[in-house]
Amino acid sequence: MTSNNSTNGTHSANNSAPVKDVSMVDLNNIDENTKNITQSLSQMNIDNPNELEPQPIMRNKSTLIFDDDDEIPPYSNHEEHASDIISDSGDEATHNTNVNYNTSNGQEQSQVDAASQEKMHQPQQRAPQQAQQQQTSNIMVPVDITWQQGGEKVYVTGSFTGWRKMIGLVPVPGQPGVLHVKLQLPPGTHKFRFIVDNELRFSDFLPTATDQMGNFVNYLEAVPRTHPDASLQQTHVANDQDGKLRQDQQQQQLSQQQAQKPAQPQGVTESNKSKKYPRSARSQIAFEIEQEPDDLGDGFTRFREEQPLKAVLEYTQDIPAVFTDPTVMEQYYLTLDQQQNNHQNLAWLTPPQLPPHLENVILNNYSSSSSDNSQNTSGSLPIPNHVVLHHLATSSIKHNTLCVASIVRYKRKYVTQILYAPLQ
Amino acid sequence: MHNNVNGSSVDVEQELALNAIRQVLKSKTSYDVLPVSFRLIVLDTSLLVKKALNVLLQNSIVSAPLWDATTSRFAGLLTSDDFINVIQYCFSNPDKFDLVEKLQLNRLRDIERAIGAKPLETTSIHPSSSLYEACTVMLRSKSRRVPLIDKDEETHREIVVSVLTQYRLLKFIALNCRETHFLKKPISELNIISNSTVRSCSMTTPVIDVIQLLSEGNISSVPIVNENGVLVNVYEAVDVLGLIKGGIYNDLSLSVGEALMRRSDDFEGVYTCTENEKLSTLLDTIRKSSVHRFFVVNESGQLVGVLSLGDLLRYILVGSKKE
Repeated sequence: MTSNNSTNGTHSANNSAPVKDVSMVDLNNIDENTKNITQSLSQMNIDNPNELEPQPIMRNKSTLIFDDDDEIPPYSNHEEHASDIISDSGDEATHNTNVNYNTSNGQEQSQVDAASQEKMHQPQQRAPQQAQQQQTSNIMVPVDITWQQGGEKVYVTGSFTGWRKMIGLVPVPGQPGVLHVKLQLPPGTHKFRFIVDNELRFSDFLPTATDQMGNFVNYLEAVPRTHPDASLQQTHVANDQDGKLRQDQQQQQLSQQQAQKPAQPQGVTESNKSKKYPRSARSQIAFEIEQEPDDLGDGFTRFREEQPLKAVLEYTQDIPAVFTDPTVMEQYYLTLDQQQNNHQNLAWLTPPQLPPHLENVILNNYSSSSSDNSQNTSGSLPIPNHVVLHHLATSSIKHNTLCVASIVRYKRKYVTQILYAPLQ
Repeated sequence: MHNNVNGSSVDVEQELALNAIRQVLKSKTSYDVLPVSFRLIVLDTSLLVKKALNVLLQNSIVSAPLWDATTSRFAGLLTSDDFINVIQYCFSNPDKFDLVEKLQLNRLRDIERAIGAKPLETTSIHPSSSLYEACTVMLRSKSRRVPLIDKDEETHREIVVSVLTQYRLLKFIALNCRETHFLKKPISELNIISNSTVRSCSMTTPVIDVIQLLSEGNISSVPIVNENGVLVNVYEAVDVLGLIKGGIYNDLSLSVGEALMRRSDDFEGVYTCTENEKLSTLLDTIRKSSVHRFFVVNESGQLVGVLSLGDLLRYILVGSKKE
């Protein structure tokens, strides 16, 4: 929790930044900062080595293609990214992730233009960010592994130790036959088994599956999860920040309109706020200055930069006609074309590029070579990254037969359905 | 039933081991034994039969669930039996060549009806049913595989989750039940070997006759023996897929020996055992290789019986056949 607080502390320091320097221009900077942080976080999530193998990025691909040819490279013996490091200091990192995840969730919409903002990014902000990046790439998720079926000496071994090392479990006081160990594991799916008094066993109380060779194993998915307290606090802070931004903007608008009158009601809420969240003396001064009228006398007025109002967005259940009616869609794109002065004529006909995380098609890791197939009778596949779920992959059309595939969750497992249908 | 005095402790161990294995089969569901991530190849019923054959061969599989896109329902399993039916139909109706060439999977039933074959197996089980139940269903329906079908919670449409086979189940037992080491009784004492009814053929038998045997006996293979009754090879139901790969009709006059020349190089071989072998040894072999049946031979290699995976499963589930 302490580390959590410190993270919140950084955030609030950011919050108070516009307050320190009176001018509202700083609000812009703040926006940028948060955007930039979000951007780097989202990059980290994608680049997370545990989830995706690094691979050459091929451009101009817009379709998920899997090959059902015979010339598939031999199936590389799949194992989850095994890490021998069971970090003891992982606790801190974990908490940080929790917070980070939250941040990125809340501000997904700002990721789009974040890339362009990066260039304007100030150098002194890079250092802490990089440090943060370092920290998050070592994300460890605390996982409790419990064995409740008795035994004297109980060990756990699994994909996280390359099936070599054994980690001892300790008896839980007061619960005979129950042993447990807390591990720090990288996010992802881990398979494991127990060694109970020199016998390899699986737990009847944990999810089970067969591995590629047909061995029955327990498995679990380590998901970086937000601590309930942390999330509560975080959203609270976020709301507060949001609310303040909006309020500041409102205040600005109002004060521009009624430059003569001090904005009394806003002032009241602000002071209420400052009671709840005590500010430093400097920020207190800043707020007081902020509340002074814009007309500074002698014909001087305070400089205000135009702040575009945030559009109020709403969610809807209705599908816009442009997606349902082909004629509307055509009209839409033709209009778009004309508006762009035909510089990018028919650019909309080219589908957008395939996001890099979709380029790893797990079906392409499936070998049809006989040596592997004799072992892999259950059609076992590598575990997919969740971002590829519900995407439609297709192979090139051969012999007038269309072949599509999609990965879906079935309970706590993943089914990759491949459907062959005639092209008619 | 077994009055072997010396083997009484072996008897007890065997019985205890069987009980332990049954316990595992009852406590684990079909869902439990699925890999965390796996593939499933499904064929649309509007696909042509010959295209479906290509898909099976391309993916080195011998069976696939069918999906009826018009009703959004599971439409049974396509197996080598269906191709055997088509071959037989072709053989008896050489004039219907064009029809067979344009045959869609959803018309397979017409073929079955025309030749009087037993209809496509459509039994299925829910993934949450126990392995024991899966075994029982397979033994009862005399099928070597059973599809796992669930209903989507939102759309209430059927989902084909996976297909469980006898081999997968036996391999699971062999790999994961330590108790199999205690199955030490010779298989001759278990009364599970089919010997009186084994149909065999010779290398010169026309392949169409062998296919006839496969279909009549609802068996997955016909052993090939020489003039001395020594086992030399086997013709499997899955071999018909390779036989008709290039077109069905010109190749039916081949002898079974010639037909076997088309078998791919990765053929696992013929697995044999003697009557004195133990179940633990057989399960060891199943663990290591994809065995689909054992031929029981004597010291001179002569065929004396056959032990199918179904025979093994039935014994594990319910014990020896009652006499």
